[in-house]
Amino acid sequence: MCAQPVTDTKEAKWQKVLYERQPFPDNYVDRRFLEELRKNIYARKYQYWAVVFESSVVIQQLCSVCVFVVIWWYMDEGLLAPHWLFGTGLASSLIGYVLFDLIDRGEGRKKSGRTRWADLKSALVFITFTYGFSPVLKTLTESVSTDTIYAMSVFMLLGHLIFFDYGANAAIVSSTLSLNMAIFASVCLASRLPRSLHAFVMVTFAIQIFALWPMLQKKLKACTPRSYVGVTLLFAFSALGGLLSISAVGAILFALLLVSISCLCPFYLIRLQLFKENIHGPWDEAEIKEDLSRFLS
Amino acid sequence: MACRGGGGHGQPPSATLFRVSPGNLSTRRTLTHNICMVSDFFYPNMGGVESHIYQLSQCLIERGHKVIIVTHAYGNRKGIRYLTNGLKVYYLPLKVMYNQSTATTLFHSLPLLRYIFVRERVTIIHSHSSFSAMAHDALFHAKTMGLQTVFTDHSLFGFADVSSVLTNKLLTVSLCDTNHIICVSYTSKENTVLRAALNPEIVSVIPNAVDPTDFTPDPFRRHDSVITIVVVSRLVYRKGTDLLSGIIPEICQKYPDLNFIIGGEGPKRIILEEVRERYQLQDRVLLLGALEHKDVRNVLVQGHIFLNTSLTEAFCMAIVEAASCGLQVVSTRVGGIPEVLPENLIILCEPSVKSLCEGLEKAIFQLKSGALPAPENIHNIVKTFYTWRNVAERTEKVYDRVAGEAVLPMDKRLDRLISHCGPVTGYIFALLAVFDFLFLIFLRWMTPDSLIDVAVDATGPRGAWTHQCPHRIKRREKNKMFKAR
Repeated sequence: MCAQPVTDTKEAKWQKVLYERQPFPDNYVDRRFLEELRKNIYARKYQYWAVVFESSVVIQQLCSVCVFVVIWWYMDEGLLAPHWLFGTGLASSLIGYVLFDLIDRGEGRKKSGRTRWADLKSALVFITFTYGFSPVLKTLTESVSTDTIYAMSVFMLLGHLIFFDYGANAAIVSSTLSLNMAIFASVCLASRLPRSLHAFVMVTFAIQIFALWPMLQKKLKACTPRSYVGVTLLFAFSALGGLLSISAVGAILFALLLVSISCLCPFYLIRLQLFKENIHGPWDEAEIKEDLSRFLS
Repeated sequence: MACRGGGGHGQPPSATLFRVSPGNLSTRRTLTHNICMVSDFFYPNMGGVESHIYQLSQCLIERGHKVIIVTHAYGNRKGIRYLTNGLKVYYLPLKVMYNQSTATTLFHSLPLLRYIFVRERVTIIHSHSSFSAMAHDALFHAKTMGLQTVFTDHSLFGFADVSSVLTNKLLTVSLCDTNHIICVSYTSKENTVLRAALNPEIVSVIPNAVDPTDFTPDPFRRHDSVITIVVVSRLVYRKGTDLLSGIIPEICQKYPDLNFIIGGEGPKRIILEEVRERYQLQDRVLLLGALEHKDVRNVLVQGHIFLNTSLTEAFCMAIVEAASCGLQVVSTRVGGIPEVLPENLIILCEPSVKSLCEGLEKAIFQLKSGALPAPENIHNIVKTFYTWRNVAERTEKVYDRVAGEAVLPMDKRLDRLISHCGPVTGYIFALLAVFDFLFLIFLRWMTPDSLIDVAVDATGPRGAWTHQCPHRIKRREKNKMFKAR
C-alpha cells in the first residue's frame, strides 16, 4: 500500500498523521519527534523565607507536643500543682477566646452563626463530663503496665504529628484522627498521674493545646502573619526552656530538630527543585477542570 | 474479518481490498516466520487489543506465515482451540490476578511457554499490551531462550504518580533488550520512548485498522427530521462520561429536535441516568447498554454526528469506525486522536463541556446548512486509510528486520540490563535473568528439546489447514466477536 504514487519524494515533508501513507519507513524519527514535550510546567518556584514561614506550622505542632509532655512530667513529679495549671489554662483560654473574635473582628463567628451561649454550653458539658469521669480515667489503665502506656503515648503523639492537617492536600491528612490520637495519648499519660484531679486537669489541658490552640494559630497566621511569627518564636523558646529544665541533651536535640525543619529542610526543598524533571505531553490524561456536579443539583 | 477471502460471503469485497500492492495475496513469500502472539487479552475477552491480535494474525496467516496465539484460560475455555483459518490458540492454565491480567512470578510460566515455543518451532515472539503480565513474561523467557522479540504497546501512560513510575520502570526492564517495539500512533511512540528510555529507531508506528466493509453507511436508517448524536464507548471515567453528562443537558436544551443514542456499559452509566431523569430527557436520550461488536454498525448508522469524549486515547478505533459509517465526528483533542483523521472529517475540541458543546454546535450548523459531505463520500475517503492488510504488511517488515538481527547473548544482555535500568533495578533483574537461564538449563536437562514433539503446523508454508481443508474456513468466529470498548 505504500506503493501509491508519491510524486515528490524529495520534497515530501513528514507529517504527524496516520491516515496518509508517507514515503518514510515506519521507524522514521523526524526532527519534530518529541517537540510537544514539556517539562516542569506545573513546578512551583519557592521563595526561601516563604517556605520557612510555612514550616512554622510544623514547628508549632512539635512544640505543642513538647510542652504537653513537659507539663505532664512536672505534674507527675509533683512540681506543678493541678490548681495552678487549671487556673493558667483557664485564663489563657479566655484570653485566646477573646483574641479569636478580635483578630478578624467577629467575621468568622458571623459566618459560622455560632452563638456564645453554644460555646459556653459545650465548654460546660465538656468540663463537667471530664471532671465526672476523671476517677474512671485515673483507674482505667491500672492493669496495663507503665511501659506499655509510655510506648502507646509515644506512638499516639507521633501519629498526631503525622496525620495533623498542616495545610497539605494529601490523602494521609486527617485532623479528626490526629486529634483523637492526641487525646488518647493524654488519657494514657493522665492515668499515670497521682490523683484524679491531676487526670482531669491534664485532659483539659490536652484539649486546650491540641484542639483550641491550633484553631487560634490558624487565624493568627491568616490575619496577622507578623504576630504569628512572634508567637511561634515565643512558643518555641518556652518549649525549649521547659525541656532544658528537664534534660539538657533533650533540649539540644530538640533545638537541632527545630532548626533543621525550619531552615535546612526549606533549603533542601529549593535545592532539589533543580533536579525536578516532570514530563508532560499530549499523552497525558486530560483533566476535567469544570465542576460537573452542577448538572445534577 | 478484514482478511477473509474474496468469496464466501454475500457482499462483494470493496475495491480497496484489491487495491493493495500487487501480488501480495497470491505470492507465497520465501521468507516466512513462525510467529507466536502472546497477550493476556484475547477472545472471549473483548477490546481493542484483542481484535488487533486476531485481525493481525489472520492477515499474517493469509500472507503465508505460521501464527499461534498464547493467552490464559478464560473460565471453561482452556487448552488448545482453533479459530478461523486454523489460527491456533493456547489457553494456558495460569491464575488471573487483576483485570484479566495473570499473576507473575517471572518463572512459573517458563516450563509451559518453553514447551510451546519448542514444539511450535517459534522464531518470533510478539507480545501485546503493557498491561499484560504474560506478555512481559514471554518476552523475558524468549530472550533467555534466544528468540527474537517484538512488542506492541497499545496504551498511553502518564509520568506523574507512583504507580506509573513503577510500571514505567518495569517497562524499561522489559523493553531494554527487546528487538523491536510497535506503537499504534506517533504520540504513543513518543510516550513509549520516554517511558522505557528507548532508542526511537527501534520503535515503529503502525496504526490500528478497522474493517471498512463492516462499517458501511446506510443513510436510510437515520431520520432526517431530528438530529441524532451517537456515543459508543465504555462508560468509565477515562472515556469522559462525566463530560458527556454535562453536554447532554446543555445541547438538549438548546436544540429541541435533537436526540442522543448512547451505546456501552460501565460504572458511570448511573450519572447519565441521573442526568436523563433530572432534565426529563427519557424520550430523547437512549441508553442501549453493552453492545455486541456486530451491532455497533447498526447503532452508528442511525446517527448524524458521532461524539467521542475520551480523556486519553492512543489511537481510538471508535472515531474511525464512525467516520467509516459516514458520521461527522466530534472529539476531544487528546493523545493520538489528532493524527487519526484529517481535519475535514473531524472537529477537535478541548476536553471541556464548553468546548465540546461548541464543537457539536458547529457540526449541527454544518449539518443543517448542508455543508457536510454525504455519508457515502466520507466512507469512500475513510476506507482507504486503515486496513488490516496494510497493518500486516508493515508488521511483516518489522519481522523481516528483526529476523536479521542477532539476539543478545547472555553476557551482553546482562550488561544491557545493568547499564540501562539503573543500578538497583538493573542488578536485580540481571540476577533474575541468570536464574531464568539456570531454570531453562534445568528444564532442558529434564526434557531435552529433542524429546518434545513437534506440533503439526495448522498455518504457514506447511500448514495442514490451508492445504487440506480449505472448506473449513468459516466466518463463525466473527459473529461471536463483540466489542466492549
